[in-house]
Amino acid sequence: MIAIARYLAAAAATLAAGLAVAQQPAPPAFAPSNLSPAGVRSLAANCAACHGTNGKPAAGSTLAGLAGKPRNELLTAMSQFKLGTKPATVMHQLSKGYSDAELAALADYFSKQSR
Amino acid sequence: MSMQRRDFLKAGAAAAAAAGLAGCAGLPGGGSRARVVVVGGGYGGATAAKYLRLFDPSIDVVLVEPNEAFVSCPISNLVLGGFRTMASITTPYTGLVNNHGVRIVRDMVTAIDTDKKQVRLAKGEALAYDRVIVSPGVDFIAGAIPALERPDAQARVLHAWKAGPQTVALRRQLEEMRDGGVYVLSIPEAPYRCPPGPYERACQVAAYFKAKKPRSKVLVLDANPDVTSKGPLFKKAWAELYKGMVEYRGNSKAIDVDLRTGAVKLDLDDVKGDVLNVIPPMKAGKVADPFVTANKRWCEVDWLTFESKAAKGVHVLGDSTLSAPLMPKSGHMANAQGKACAAAVVALLNGESPNPAPTLSNTCYSFVSDTEVVHVASVHKYDVAARTFKTVPGSGGVSSGRNELEAGYALNWARNIWADTLS
Repeated sequence: MIAIARYLAAAAATLAAGLAVAQQPAPPAFAPSNLSPAGVRSLAANCAACHGTNGKPAAGSTLAGLAGKPRNELLTAMSQFKLGTKPATVMHQLSKGYSDAELAALADYFSKQSR
Repeated sequence: MSMQRRDFLKAGAAAAAAAGLAGCAGLPGGGSRARVVVVGGGYGGATAAKYLRLFDPSIDVVLVEPNEAFVSCPISNLVLGGFRTMASITTPYTGLVNNHGVRIVRDMVTAIDTDKKQVRLAKGEALAYDRVIVSPGVDFIAGAIPALERPDAQARVLHAWKAGPQTVALRRQLEEMRDGGVYVLSIPEAPYRCPPGPYERACQVAAYFKAKKPRSKVLVLDANPDVTSKGPLFKKAWAELYKGMVEYRGNSKAIDVDLRTGAVKLDLDDVKGDVLNVIPPMKAGKVADPFVTANKRWCEVDWLTFESKAAKGVHVLGDSTLSAPLMPKSGHMANAQGKACAAAVVALLNGESPNPAPTLSNTCYSFVSDTEVVHVASVHKYDVAARTFKTVPGSGGVSSGRNELEAGYALNWARNIWADTLS
């Protein structure tokens, strides 16, 4: 008797948990990062809107150029933006959209672009 | 001397390209070279054209665009405020030709024949393609504001939601308005191009009135229940910078205009104004009509390739797409999509797999005065289960408050994205 009651209670709990899970929106199932050369090139293209094509800002722009900067300088800045330890207006919000491996790949990519 | 010679050579090269193009018209895509035709030279199409050539210089890229130069919608509200000129938001297409070898055809596309793989042009030519990228922006839904079907009415009640002659005309209406007049801005139901744009416009017109016509009013009639983007930041700006000048009414959908009385007609009442600026509800640009699959308004695409769900070999990007969740119809987003689409088209033309993990980022700056700005930013990644883009949890956000630092960033953003799109 007790065993059956326990079983029913456990089943009810499982059902309730299942319902609760079903009511939550599924967490995003993002594709694994593509860190192939073409993948990184496409990732880096996102930065170009503000920082210039391949990290070279347009003439007269005062936004940070990325092309040809040392890899460590770029990676440190992006990591600190992501951690919130470096003051920013928007980079603290954008950097959180990229994994640490992606930020490292971006730093590598821009460090190798000609200024 | 050398400059003149170089200009002469450039002109010669452009003429030769034009002649070669005419010769190719109607023939398959230029022999062994794959040809991509891009329809529309806005943020999406122009960026796609440039990056196709950057990613694979062997591809023959033809951009079809009716306008002589690119006029930016972002920053165009500052022209209405009187703080920027049209020249400052206009960029020629010559950079795409001279720096990247994109061929430009100044014409309108009348039809896309997906069986023959040809784009037909208003002047009678046809361009063969291997793949076509369709980026026509938005058009207005016919009949949504019945009185605005007539051309004379369209000339009086402006939308100015495509930067260009209407921007100039609306600025003139504001200049000619008496002090003490009412400017009525009617906003359509979302989704529409540039979610924060109407609220920035209200700020810009208010900034102009505050300086030059202080007894005037800005009346915002929003079809949406509340401000759709950066709401608290805009409302704070209206309350603190333009106190008593800006009035906001949600759930106020325009159903028509009365040209005789000069009023915007809502369900229950008419709202009179001296300048009526009615932005009608929007849909995909007309040339994308055959690829519209959602609500008779928008084009669904495979987000890995931007290939239309309605037609093979046709890629749709920018404002015409059925946007992914929380994805804005913005110039910045179209620029990002242009690059992702270009990368996918290059992969497909070379028999490779498209990037399985695309990322798109977006930042929209809005000027709440001539010197202060607020932003909204987001990062979108591809969800393999949902087959759409979703925002990365924890990323993105808005400005903590309006500030002058970001006004400088906004103008530099404009400078750089125009160059990234067109130079």
